[in-house]
Amino acid sequence: MNGTNVPAIEIEHLTVSYGQVAALLDISVAIGAGQLVGIIGPNGSGKSTLVKAILGFLRPDLGRVRIFGQPLERAAGRVAYVPQRGAVDWDFPVTVREVALMGRYGRIPWWREPSADDYRAADEALETVRMAEYRDRRIGQLSGGQQQRVFMARAMAQGAEILLLDEPFAGVDAATERAILEVLSRMRAAGRTLVVVHHDLATAAEYFDNLLLIKQRLYAYGPPPAVLDQELLAEVYEGRLRVFSRLLAGRGEEP
Amino acid sequence: MSDWWEAAAAWHATHAHVARALLAGSLVSIVCGVMGCFIVLRRMAFLGDALAHAMLAGVVIGYLLMKWLFGLEAHAPAMLVGALIAGLATVGLVGLVSRQSRVKEDAAIGIMYTGIFALGGLIASLFSHYIHIDLLHFVTGNLLAVELADLWMMAAVAAVVLAAVILGFRSLQLTSFDPVMAASLGVPVAALDYVLTTCTSLVVVSGVHIVGVILVVGLLITPAATALLICRRLSAMLWAAALFGLTSFLFGYAVSEWLNVAPGSAIVVAGTLQFAAVWAVAPEHGLAARWLARRRAVPQTIREDILGCMHRDGREWVPWKSLTERLECGATMLRRAGEALAAGHWVECSREGLRLTDLGRDEALRLRRAHRLWETYLERLGTPVSDLHRRADQLEHVNDERAVDYLDDKLGHPLVDPHGAEIPVDGKRIVAGALVRVSLLREGHQAIVRQLGPAAATLALSVGQPIRVGPRRPDPITWTIDLADGSVVALDHRQADDLLVELRD
Repeated sequence: MNGTNVPAIEIEHLTVSYGQVAALLDISVAIGAGQLVGIIGPNGSGKSTLVKAILGFLRPDLGRVRIFGQPLERAAGRVAYVPQRGAVDWDFPVTVREVALMGRYGRIPWWREPSADDYRAADEALETVRMAEYRDRRIGQLSGGQQQRVFMARAMAQGAEILLLDEPFAGVDAATERAILEVLSRMRAAGRTLVVVHHDLATAAEYFDNLLLIKQRLYAYGPPPAVLDQELLAEVYEGRLRVFSRLLAGRGEEP
Repeated sequence: MSDWWEAAAAWHATHAHVARALLAGSLVSIVCGVMGCFIVLRRMAFLGDALAHAMLAGVVIGYLLMKWLFGLEAHAPAMLVGALIAGLATVGLVGLVSRQSRVKEDAAIGIMYTGIFALGGLIASLFSHYIHIDLLHFVTGNLLAVELADLWMMAAVAAVVLAAVILGFRSLQLTSFDPVMAASLGVPVAALDYVLTTCTSLVVVSGVHIVGVILVVGLLITPAATALLICRRLSAMLWAAALFGLTSFLFGYAVSEWLNVAPGSAIVVAGTLQFAAVWAVAPEHGLAARWLARRRAVPQTIREDILGCMHRDGREWVPWKSLTERLECGATMLRRAGEALAAGHWVECSREGLRLTDLGRDEALRLRRAHRLWETYLERLGTPVSDLHRRADQLEHVNDERAVDYLDDKLGHPLVDPHGAEIPVDGKRIVAGALVRVSLLREGHQAIVRQLGPAAATLALSVGQPIRVGPRRPDPITWTIDLADGSVVALDHRQADDLLVELRD
């Protein structure tokens, strides 16, 4: 992790719009490899949009994203994704093991069936998050925390160097939050780069090496004490500083 | 042998249309079932309907073009291509209208599919003397008039669609379940959407022959939805939907022959009945399963009363009998409640009695906390002391985290209830290593200062400093914390709420 390394994610002048409205405007940032980075910002500030643009799901109007110096088209499968709870159709007919196996899809050519190795990788990943015994359950039959862990397993089975997680701590209990955090720090120790959309300012400083504060545009990127500056937050969260102080006081309350 | 063969040939000569109908119907209902799975999972049911209606215009235009250009009558491939183009044009126009105008997508679909359907009708009646097809067949379908050319067309559609589904299974599964991840793996998500739309148009075109424009959505959606009720995997759902499609066709067709009614309606009614039957008995969310689950369910109040009762009892194993006496509830209900509690790992059951687990003890403490906070609150409202316990017994079952937090905060985080009994601490938050507000802590807790909120900013404290919580002082309620150097800091309610500390073991 020395300074000469290429950044894991490099974003230059990224602008993404939905119709007339720019969801992201001129975002430029370089995220170094091996870091645990939190993306913070008020509701509707473009956090999920940024994640989707990094994954190549949304086409930017302007700017580009590079993964370890490579353009997105050449970096397919190098970034794993854990979706937001609300973005998943929990009625979908898919089992826990099948979800974990999806992590291997990038390596399986379309004409071939998943190999024994692929199944083993999926099962091992489920083992790591202690979900192996549920492997034949349908994903919708699990509790919120268990579902979150299955998606973590999928990301691990993918073996990607970079992980993007969209609000992994939303709607899970404290024990699951600890468990997810533990998996995250273990993955960082293994040299992975982790980018996490996070809504709880109270825990942001404790969890992350660096914070990315956005609301349409980039307000700050750096270590938590610098980003969690009262004046900066007041500007980004506008009249909702009271909300912010409540957030500091009561963990996990929705703004 | 030759007798049998001759008999078969004779039957075929007179019943060829029946054989063709059976073959065509089976083929189409299977493909519709398979394709329907993706339409159901991607919530595109309305699209299927739109495509079916747009078809009319495509078929009519295809028919007329071939007739005028080449003098060919009812050229099936041309009508198929025409239908396909009309279907895709409808999808494109719907997208255009919903993107470029203030009209939302559902309204855009409504405008476009009726518009193009009506256009087809207009052209058809304008050139009715050229067109020798019965337009009524488009509305109701005409299974018995299936020609050999139609059959070939259906077989080709089935081959193309099934090949696309089998070869692209993983990509289709992933784009339907998690399109963002699919895109990150380099799966062409937008192209696959077009493939699916095209396949849907093809399937709809062949389905219209069987049940007609209006009912084709039933052929597409109902078997797939039926399969969704019972399947855990997409692959299983595809097989089940194909099977349900086939059975609804065969059953509906048999009934239509028997009662001499329109096959299209009979087939769709059969599919709907099949859905209802499967829904009734489906293991997970079926009607019967739900009804049984509700019958077996034990009221939350009884479960919570048992936990409270056991905790007060103090014995390790509490006999069933003492619980039935104290709770005034039937033995069957009690046993069922015990089983439900054991399933949640709150208690262990034996033949003689019940034992609280650590989890159960925590839950009992949480309930006691809710009960005593409610008592304190009721007393504050002026409820007579004689009534306090009874009312709190009812209200303690209103114990979601937010409600209890609200009471606790409103009452100033009291230490004891009106009877002088201690209110247990918030066991979910007060754990070693957790970040908590000082207002929730009791005398003796040790912690490290982690964050000073706005109200606490003026206190003579700094982040990282170790503290010990001292006794609470009344009037106005004041928290005290002892510092390492022996000095004491006093906090009011707001300051105690705004001071976040990390608890030590």
